[in-house]
Amino acid sequence: MSRFDVDVERAVRKACSYEETAPKRKHVRACIVYTWDHKSSKAVFSILKTLPLGQDEITVFKALITIHKIIQEGHGSAIIEGIKNREWIASLGRIYPENGTGSYGRIIEGYVEVLLKKLDFHRIHSGFNGTFEYEEYMSLVSTSDPDQGYETVLDLMDLQDVIDRFGRLLFSSISSGRRNECKISALVPLVGESYGIYKFVMSMIRAIYRQVGEEGAVEPLYARYCEQHSRLFEFYADCSAIKYLTSLLRIPKLPGDPPSLEVGDEYVEGKPSN
Amino acid sequence: MSKSLIRRAKNVVNGYSGTQVVLREATSNDSDGPSVELLDEIADRSFDNVSFFEIMDMLDKRLNDKGKNWRHVAKSLTVLDYLVRCGSENCVPWVRENLYIIKTLREFTHEDEFGIDQGQIVRVKARELTSLLLDDERLREERQLRQRD
Repeated sequence: MSRFDVDVERAVRKACSYEETAPKRKHVRACIVYTWDHKSSKAVFSILKTLPLGQDEITVFKALITIHKIIQEGHGSAIIEGIKNREWIASLGRIYPENGTGSYGRIIEGYVEVLLKKLDFHRIHSGFNGTFEYEEYMSLVSTSDPDQGYETVLDLMDLQDVIDRFGRLLFSSISSGRRNECKISALVPLVGESYGIYKFVMSMIRAIYRQVGEEGAVEPLYARYCEQHSRLFEFYADCSAIKYLTSLLRIPKLPGDPPSLEVGDEYVEGKPSN
Repeated sequence: MSKSLIRRAKNVVNGYSGTQVVLREATSNDSDGPSVELLDEIADRSFDNVSFFEIMDMLDKRLNDKGKNWRHVAKSLTVLDYLVRCGSENCVPWVRENLYIIKTLREFTHEDEFGIDQGQIVRVKARELTSLLLDDERLREERQLRQRD
């Protein structure tokens, strides 16, 4: 093992320690930077697999947060490696049965569901990066073929629904106290991801609308979009009430009403439009 | 005072080059930010190929520093921001290539011994710099503006 492997092994272990705190950013970042430096995520995943995951549910939960973060922010190879390890991730959800001893059983199961859905999405639509950062060319690609664009939007919305469900589950499991930082820290990647999806879906629906030119074709999509908009609005409002979150990242503020199909009333990132 | 003396001694012992000394000065652990003169000097030096790599190497080290040295990280971001706007043409591609180093700093945290989160300044700087780098047009405008002076 080279020196770097030893370093990254230490980082993975420290990120997924048994203490009930948020995974330390310093260590998660070290893992992410490693994947970029080496253009490979193999080592990270093989170390993750050696963790004592069967002994401690907090370790499992922190490992899931770490995996999510690495898939989001790491080198593109992290997504591929994640897809390869799909079965292993799925097995994590079965270690602690739903009515297990601790309070983590259910949210572990929910988190695994989100990760699997995410990996499945990336397997089919390889043009997206881990955080769904807005890239103009993607929406162009999808609308040159409206059928395919339609599919992509539907899949994105499915993923958004799963994230939304998990967000609710997390909130219902959070009670007061500092020890909750561990659970709350899982919201950080969720906020980023849901907002990325939100922006993508809107721009793609608009693009399809422009291409097809009739409102009827995108009507069902738009209706579902409006529904998701209001749920996301509430989700972000709930998140804004948590000081730990607001100090760490900028929670997007959605307009009260969903933006219309017509381009023109542009919403600017980070700026509430009313 | 003694701190800067120690730094000067370290500069000699570790055999840092002139450029590296300037950079270490600019990203030191002192509480005041780097002066404009220092920033200008670094930007000037970035036009020299050897110095350029020395600068980027040192910045890379500083950006990945421990939480305790959050001032190193914050000031390195300041220097990098200045280089992107006023430094040589080489700076922009380098930073783009290594964008992940900056992007991942957007969630930087460090609690000092009084339990105060000192990471805020790093997070804000990293966020600003990332959005500047992702906006080609704005970056081009910024660079043109500086060159006219």
